[in-house]
Amino acid sequence: MSGQGLTGLSPWSRRLVAAGVLAWCLITVFPLYWVVVTAFKTPPGVVGGPTYLPFIDFTPTLQPFIDLYQGIRGEFFRTFLNSTIVGLSAAAIATAIGAMAAYALVRFEFRVRLGAGLAFFLLALGGYLVFNNNFGFTRPQALLLAFPIALAVAIIANRLPLPGPILGNEDILFWFVSQRMFPPIVTAFALYLLYSEIGRLGFQLIDSYIGLTLCYVAFSLPIVVWLMRDFFEAIPIEVEEAAMVDNVPSWRIFVGIVVPMSMNGLLATFMITLAFVWNEFLFALFLTNSRWQTLPILVAGQNSQRGDEWWAISAAALVAIIPMMIMAGLLSRMMRSGLLLGAIK
Amino acid sequence: MMRNDPIKHVFIWPAVLVVLAISIFPLIYSLTTSFLSYRLIPPIPPRVVWLGNYIALLQEPRFWNAIFTTTLIAFIAVGLQYAIGFGVALALNARVPGERLFRVALLLPMLLAPVAVALVARMIFNPTMGPLNQLLGKFGLVNLPFLTNGHWALACIIAVEVWQWTPFIILMMLAGLQTLPEDVYEAAELENASAWQQFWGITFPMLLPISAAVVFIRLIESYKIMDTVFVMTGGGPGVDTETLTLFAYQEGFKKFNLGYTSALSFLFLIAITIIGVTYLALLRPHLEKRR
Repeated sequence: MSGQGLTGLSPWSRRLVAAGVLAWCLITVFPLYWVVVTAFKTPPGVVGGPTYLPFIDFTPTLQPFIDLYQGIRGEFFRTFLNSTIVGLSAAAIATAIGAMAAYALVRFEFRVRLGAGLAFFLLALGGYLVFNNNFGFTRPQALLLAFPIALAVAIIANRLPLPGPILGNEDILFWFVSQRMFPPIVTAFALYLLYSEIGRLGFQLIDSYIGLTLCYVAFSLPIVVWLMRDFFEAIPIEVEEAAMVDNVPSWRIFVGIVVPMSMNGLLATFMITLAFVWNEFLFALFLTNSRWQTLPILVAGQNSQRGDEWWAISAAALVAIIPMMIMAGLLSRMMRSGLLLGAIK
Repeated sequence: MMRNDPIKHVFIWPAVLVVLAISIFPLIYSLTTSFLSYRLIPPIPPRVVWLGNYIALLQEPRFWNAIFTTTLIAFIAVGLQYAIGFGVALALNARVPGERLFRVALLLPMLLAPVAVALVARMIFNPTMGPLNQLLGKFGLVNLPFLTNGHWALACIIAVEVWQWTPFIILMMLAGLQTLPEDVYEAAELENASAWQQFWGITFPMLLPISAAVVFIRLIESYKIMDTVFVMTGGGPGVDTETLTLFAYQEGFKKFNLGYTSALSFLFLIAITIIGVTYLALLRPHLEKRR
């Protein structure tokens, strides 16, 4: 770490800078402190105006948490479980297949013809319209038919000497990452339509574990590929080359050598993905209604149920926040080892 | 070194398939829906209207209001985040006293659910029970209408955005600051450059590429803002704080006007693309000069 900056400053401006940082720190911490204390207040302790210190200003109580656990304000326990299950599995799957893709993009050469990509999109769109309008298939049926056909044609087309530019690994990476630029409302709303029509065919995806997890995996993949690529690039290639001389197959190099070497990165990526999924609101709002509702939806619903019961709202918010506070503690340790350094290059 | 082995397809296809399925499917689906007049309630059979939905939207004042509100929130919030975040990162990098303590608090806000953050904000901005009003009361400002007046509500939303996402900028800028070469500063020191000159002459230009990337990410993300507004004001009072995503949600889930909502989401996509491309085009000359 280079220690320039404050060295040239006078003692007074140094103090000023320190005060400024301290002020920002207080602003950061105060709202968190406020949830914690409010969650332990009794209703009179809240309504009587702001109070700050437990045992001095007000008498703390555990009642809000007991109410939560007993499900007086929505099925909290089960929602918490839902969030945990969906979060853990989506983060695990996304990290696994995202890491594989990132490794492939770092170590293998890919060439995709732009023409093949365009052919895929046009065939998928055109096939969908034709199947839907001319053959009388329902909309999801038409999509499910057109998609594999378009994919097969595109893969074949990629082998033909089509005119037009050839895209390499960098472009594929860009394609992955650019998925994050999409306003999620485009995807969320269309997914809702698609899921509900597939549901009409008898396969329920709305308010189901598979539907939600699948959506979160796709939603997290861009960031996993982006982060993991840097970890893999940082691994010295000599080890892999030595293994290749011994004719170790590629998948064993990956599982046996690369994965253990980048364990820190995988863990950090897993945690960041988990945080994204845990906090995600829009997709959960669209794609769940009762059985697989997640915490953010329940927490958001707290304010309209019986007016503003701040003690209960705080307890709910606190339950949603605490796992992430633990995560922040774990991540801030890893952060010191230059975790994000590679990601921004 | 790149190698070529058929197994590469096994590595990359699962991810490609999932992304294709979850992004291309919906894309095609809502692209075609956006050319239809299609409602679920009351159920009307779909009818092709071509660009009708788009034209109706462009003539709708509420749409322009949502665009304006979203732009306002995004630009002001990101500007403030960048200014504060860069400043704090500089101070932390210079090992201001108490830096350790701060680093723990640093990550917290950005890992918390925006929904929970918005609820906490509602408590703090509460006119009668909130601590903020008590504090301001000491300065003679009594019962400010934080969330019930349009302008105040907008300011509150921006404040929450800044609170939540400045840590991201601090984190990234701090990472960038640590890559700067020390010898340049030693040379500047020899020439008696002041701290201010060092900042404008060395630190800022050298961090320009990272700054550009960080601001870009935040700008794009801010345009998608929904959770915070949904919980804090619900778009109100009236439509004073209604953002694009919230508008789409209202049209799609309150009125089930599917064609209209699909057209809206595509206009949103176009707007984001235009902003992104313009931003990159404006910055390109500055970035290339430094390389």
